[in-house]
Amino acid sequence: MLSADAVTKTYRAAAGRVVAVDGASLIVQPGTRVGLVGPSGSGKSTLAQIMAMLLEPDSGSVTIDGDRVEKWGLRSLRAMRHRVQLIFQAPRVSVDPRLRVGDAILEPLAASGMLPAGADERRALLQSWAARVGLTNDLLERFPHEVSEGQLQRACLARALVVCPRYLICDELSSMLDVSTQAALLEAIAAVQDEHGLGLLLITHDRVLADAWCGEIADIRELSRCEAVDPAVCFSDDGGFRAQRALERLDAA
Amino acid sequence: MSAGGGALAGSLRLGAGIGQRAGSAVRGWPLAVRIAAGVLAVLVVGALAADVIAPLDDRAVDLDNILAAPSWSHLLGTDEVGRDLLARVLHGIQISLMIAVSAALTAALAGTLVGIVAGTMGGKVDAVVMRVTDVFASQNHFLFGILLVVLFRPVLGGAGAIMLSVGLTHWPSLARIVRGELMSLRERPFVAAAIGGGAGRLRLARRHYLPHLLPAVGLAFVLTVPHAIFHESALSFLGLGLEPHRASLGNILADGQRSLLAGGWWIALFPGLAILLASMTIGTLAESWRERLHPRWRSELEL
Amino acid sequence: MTALLEVKDLSVGFRTRRGVVQALSQASVSVEQGELLLVVGESGSGKTVLAHSLLRLLPRNVDVSGSIRLGGEDVLALQPDALRRVRGRRMALIPQSPASSLNPVRRLGGQLLEAARARGLTEAQSRKRLRELLGELGLDLDSISGRYIHQLSGGMQQRVVNAMALVGEPDIVIADEPTSGLDSDLVDATAAQLREISARGASLLVITHDLRLAERLGGRLALLYASRIVEVGPAAAFFQSPSHPYGRELLRALPEREGKSIPGMSPELTALPGHCAFADRCPDRFEPCTESVPDLYPVRDGVHARCFAHAER
Repeated sequence: MLSADAVTKTYRAAAGRVVAVDGASLIVQPGTRVGLVGPSGSGKSTLAQIMAMLLEPDSGSVTIDGDRVEKWGLRSLRAMRHRVQLIFQAPRVSVDPRLRVGDAILEPLAASGMLPAGADERRALLQSWAARVGLTNDLLERFPHEVSEGQLQRACLARALVVCPRYLICDELSSMLDVSTQAALLEAIAAVQDEHGLGLLLITHDRVLADAWCGEIADIRELSRCEAVDPAVCFSDDGGFRAQRALERLDAA
Repeated sequence: MSAGGGALAGSLRLGAGIGQRAGSAVRGWPLAVRIAAGVLAVLVVGALAADVIAPLDDRAVDLDNILAAPSWSHLLGTDEVGRDLLARVLHGIQISLMIAVSAALTAALAGTLVGIVAGTMGGKVDAVVMRVTDVFASQNHFLFGILLVVLFRPVLGGAGAIMLSVGLTHWPSLARIVRGELMSLRERPFVAAAIGGGAGRLRLARRHYLPHLLPAVGLAFVLTVPHAIFHESALSFLGLGLEPHRASLGNILADGQRSLLAGGWWIALFPGLAILLASMTIGTLAESWRERLHPRWRSELEL
Repeated sequence: MTALLEVKDLSVGFRTRRGVVQALSQASVSVEQGELLLVVGESGSGKTVLAHSLLRLLPRNVDVSGSIRLGGEDVLALQPDALRRVRGRRMALIPQSPASSLNPVRRLGGQLLEAARARGLTEAQSRKRLRELLGELGLDLDSISGRYIHQLSGGMQQRVVNAMALVGEPDIVIADEPTSGLDSDLVDATAAQLREISARGASLLVITHDLRLAERLGGRLALLYASRIVEVGPAAAFFQSPSHPYGRELLRALPEREGKSIPGMSPELTALPGHCAFADRCPDRFEPCTESVPDLYPVRDGVHARCFAHAER
């Protein structure tokens, strides 16, 4: 299982220290779907990146299948990185614009030295994953700016699945996408889950989606003791949470 | 004879092939850029073929022909000891360009290195490095350049001192560009995705950072060349640059200054023109390249 | 009674290096005085282009044909002066993402005043009108004048942008993707805000891919697919029982319904087929579907669908 235990992370913003996540604990069992809901700015993405070993928490721990995570980001253990994969909200900035879509999908294998030796094998592997996420072969030759957001997100999904992760974290997978693309992405994930027992953490502000799709729902506001932070506050010259209170009063007036 | 003819035919065909491809590429360019490319091509070919077109022999003084105005036998006239000015100018272009390109390369490499260090290490290292950069950037290029040349000429020789001088005055802007690009790249989710996929620092640098940096670095390098031409010409004009026997355009210009009073306008005009043309054409081509990389937003709101 | 806005056979194509991107093909739709019209479709279906065409906010590399009549005058044929009098005063746009639609380094007071003056109001009239308008929207002109846009909460930003659109008292307000970037729990609040605008008497055109917002707003709905309007009719009728197969499949994809995706992908706008664009993905495809493009056939009260299945009636 993938578990986060009492994770806390604080950022230093222009207006002072902002607590993004405060003492959050979350467990994802293999083969299950956990939905993490809550408003934007409440720390869901931060928790997601910590659980994917990309960000180091200030305190607390993350354990993946019994192994505790000791190193984070670039220093994290390569062997562990493939166990948890993270898909980001905005597909266009999640791919290197200079790589063709097909190359981007296989990049994690190339980076880890796991790419099949023969060009034919590579093509076959790529095309099989492309088919599973609903990408046609001609799109694989294109550059990111030549395909739509929906197609790019499918490519990001393929890229995450190509390393056969045990756990998949989707951070607002389809907030920017249309309903049918969202449905297609979720169907592809469900199929892989049925076959390989993938554990899924679906992060979304869409409560209806979470209810319809996930077996278990967790609300970030209950997990983490901090309040939702409006990004506007971090840049205001009034400073900190005092400003947020004032704005809320203005808002309500 | 036939072997030579075959080689000639082969090289002509090769030349024609290259010419054709270049021709079709050029057709898409705006007129100003095409003119700039043409002029620059003439200058470069002239510089490369200087030894063939007008071999230079410093000792070929022709004291009967001192300060002769441009004529058919001496297309650009002669200088104060009777040497053919065309030969001197062509060789001057050759030397000026070589020095300028090497100097710009030095600046580019130094700037890129510093930018990478600052951009990837961040934190205190970045702060220290950037403050040092600021110190160098705030120096007046010319005065600082003169100081460097004066200090290092005895040690490195004229050419070496100039390269150092240009290098140390022009690297800061490139360092800032590289650092800026790197810092914005590191924030993008695709870098996080690459790390999650298993990429280490080296892979990130090679596969993701460098391809993004190269166009910016290449462009900055090309844009530094005109600066370097000017810098070197100015230093040589003041007598602080290259030794006179390896005359660059600046040196010739210095000679020209003296001859102006004697009525020899051509000795000042032609090297000056060459400096101007070289700088302008390279600058124009670089600007058009920059336009292609980062097209300016055009307000096209109308039907 | 002639409609306030009559769009007839509007086609918009963008000339790009990869060919002509046909963003809109012969779209015809009308909006009555005080009506609420929803323009719904996926990204790339042509809905944003339709909205921008109404105000002639298109880049130079376009081919446009058809007509857009506002109170009888063809907007497409107007001279720049006349066009300026239409923009903001007769038709106004509430752009996507309020925070990025305003100048981040200018204080709001100046920007609001400038918008009002541009609509032809004097300095004094502008202040009075803005004060009233912002007050109705729940904001105080004096307290926000000195602020920058990023210092307001998301909800307040939206209201500022709404005020800028309404200051000229336009006949038609166009809202472009009002819920983009907003959390799902704000859909109700957004719908309420929009209905408030509609209640002031102006016609409201809402461009959106958010089906939940559309369902809450009601009014009339025009569904776009691959540059064509494929269904038009009362929104309630659409959500209860869509007539076009694409509409049906689209609603099935909602997670609260079946969450079932539509197989395949929408056609490239540079290579639209000469027949029904949805045919390749349509479960009800039959012979005529791959032969020619269907017209908008009447289905029942006020509902039209671009589908051969309804051609007989």
